[in-house]
Amino acid sequence: MSDRITRKGFDGWRWAGRVFLTLLLLFTVVPMVWMVLTSIKTQFAAMQYPPQWWPQEPTLENYTKLLNPANPAGADFLRYFWNSLYISVATTILGVGVAVPAAYAFSRFRFPGRTFLFFAVLLRNMFPAVVFLMPLFILMRWMGLVGSHGSLILTYLTFGLPLSIWLLKGFYDNIPIQLEHAARIDGATRFQAFVLIVLPLSTPGIIATAIFSFIGAWNEYVYAITFLNKKERLTLPVGIQKYFAEFSTDWPGLMAATFLMSVPVVVLFLVLQQYFVKALTEGAVKA
Amino acid sequence: MTRSIGTATLAPPRKSPGVVRQIVNQRADYLYVLPALIVMLVVIAYPIWFTIDMSFYKTPASLQLRDRSFVGLKNYATILSAPAFWAVTWNTMIWTLASTCFAFLIGLGAALALHREFAGRGVMRALLLIPYVVSAVAASYVWKWLYHSDFGVFGALSVQLGFTDKPINFLDNLYTVLPSLIVVNIWREFSFAMIMLMAGLQTVPEQLLRAAQVDGANAWQRFWHITMPHLKGVSMVTILLLMVANFNSFVVPWIMTGGGPAGASDIWITHIYQIAFGRQNWGLASAYSVILFVVMMALGYFYVKALTRGDEGRAG
Repeated sequence: MSDRITRKGFDGWRWAGRVFLTLLLLFTVVPMVWMVLTSIKTQFAAMQYPPQWWPQEPTLENYTKLLNPANPAGADFLRYFWNSLYISVATTILGVGVAVPAAYAFSRFRFPGRTFLFFAVLLRNMFPAVVFLMPLFILMRWMGLVGSHGSLILTYLTFGLPLSIWLLKGFYDNIPIQLEHAARIDGATRFQAFVLIVLPLSTPGIIATAIFSFIGAWNEYVYAITFLNKKERLTLPVGIQKYFAEFSTDWPGLMAATFLMSVPVVVLFLVLQQYFVKALTEGAVKA
Repeated sequence: MTRSIGTATLAPPRKSPGVVRQIVNQRADYLYVLPALIVMLVVIAYPIWFTIDMSFYKTPASLQLRDRSFVGLKNYATILSAPAFWAVTWNTMIWTLASTCFAFLIGLGAALALHREFAGRGVMRALLLIPYVVSAVAASYVWKWLYHSDFGVFGALSVQLGFTDKPINFLDNLYTVLPSLIVVNIWREFSFAMIMLMAGLQTVPEQLLRAAQVDGANAWQRFWHITMPHLKGVSMVTILLLMVANFNSFVVPWIMTGGGPAGASDIWITHIYQIAFGRQNWGLASAYSVILFVVMMALGYFYVKALTRGDEGRAG
């Protein structure tokens, strides 16, 4: 009796799950599809009611315009793109360099103040960017960094650091300490054991942390809009806003820019997906 | 140098040799944390102190600190007596709670549905995760276009399907604006809950579920009495992280509506930003931030509690 009931109930749930997933997929994908469809329309075709559900005369004009350095719009766009790339890469490299030793220390050593420091690190996660804007703005002005890319790199470095340390600590916790003990017995110093044994083993963690830093810096908006004042220094999220808000909004152009802006992070994510997912869940899930 | 990094630090600390002595003995350990610590101190401790200090002053728009004047608790009184404060608080609560609840529940549903192996599962997971990695700025523009009052997809759909006579102006209506923004927010973050919970589901012992099935427990009972208790920890962390992220969100409401119309989608962070960088009233904005600190500290307390669960007895 129970067997029949459970099997029947089970199938019901499975179908409910499928329907739910299909709807969820629609919810997720429709905005992305509409972005792409709009980006291959002309301004005239986009501004129609009812909308052209499928573009009647698809065109790549919006993309060629943005990617052509000879075109003023394209020159700006490519410069913003380059700025974003430069800032994100610099943030990532510096961030990983600082986070790796710190996370290792948090995972391995028991020094006075360790717990306090660790929670101080975590608590940074709790505070909104906007709260730090004013004091950091004054700090950057004092250091003469306002308007420079350095101000953003320094800022992104710190707001990415707590998360990086937290992610990496999860990875270090899972590397058996006996490996280091063995290395020490074989005559390695503690630093050598760290560099030669632990570091190579934590490569997946480092990759994951790097993805997070990169995506965080690439997508950041609040600090970028506050600290940067010169048009040629803007990053993409701020740049496309400045560019498209100046005129009556060119929606197809904006959608093309949005698409191009999303390409690096989505590609990075799709290629390194397993690290990304692992890192995100590592610290939170304990059997 | 090499000698000071002794094996002693790898072993559990000996019985209380005195804090100072311990710090001196293990000074090399601090070298690993020092770079992170310096950066943190400069960019975190200083701003927090600065904000608290500033909240007691009236500052000129130029942000020249020597021209500021001490006003005591006046900024706090101004905030608490302003009707806008309560309106914004109410919006923030709706925004935070609704976004968190729906993102979590949808994420849970998706995690359960994706738990079983089936063809295309990996592709599906990747697709569902894309909104989480795409920038909030990009998402905001795309959704703003979807909600567009004249040429938007949703407006046109609601007419073509016969729900309304003319396109709904989602973002310019006092009643639809906040729910519309919450939908965008859920779109962006449900997949975060999804992968956290998918990882959590792997810790649920399969045998236990099978045993319960043999004993006649139906799907709902198995879920409620076996799966859910195992997901408790990860759910706590997920919900808290979502709450913190939502409480702190800025980009989506800022780009899509700027807090409008008439403050109907103004939440704390957009409000503070307007006071600081719009009206340039830095003292008032600081006082706002301090109140926010207090709320966040309370949330932070629970966050740390949820995270440290079971941290004792691990490596080292």
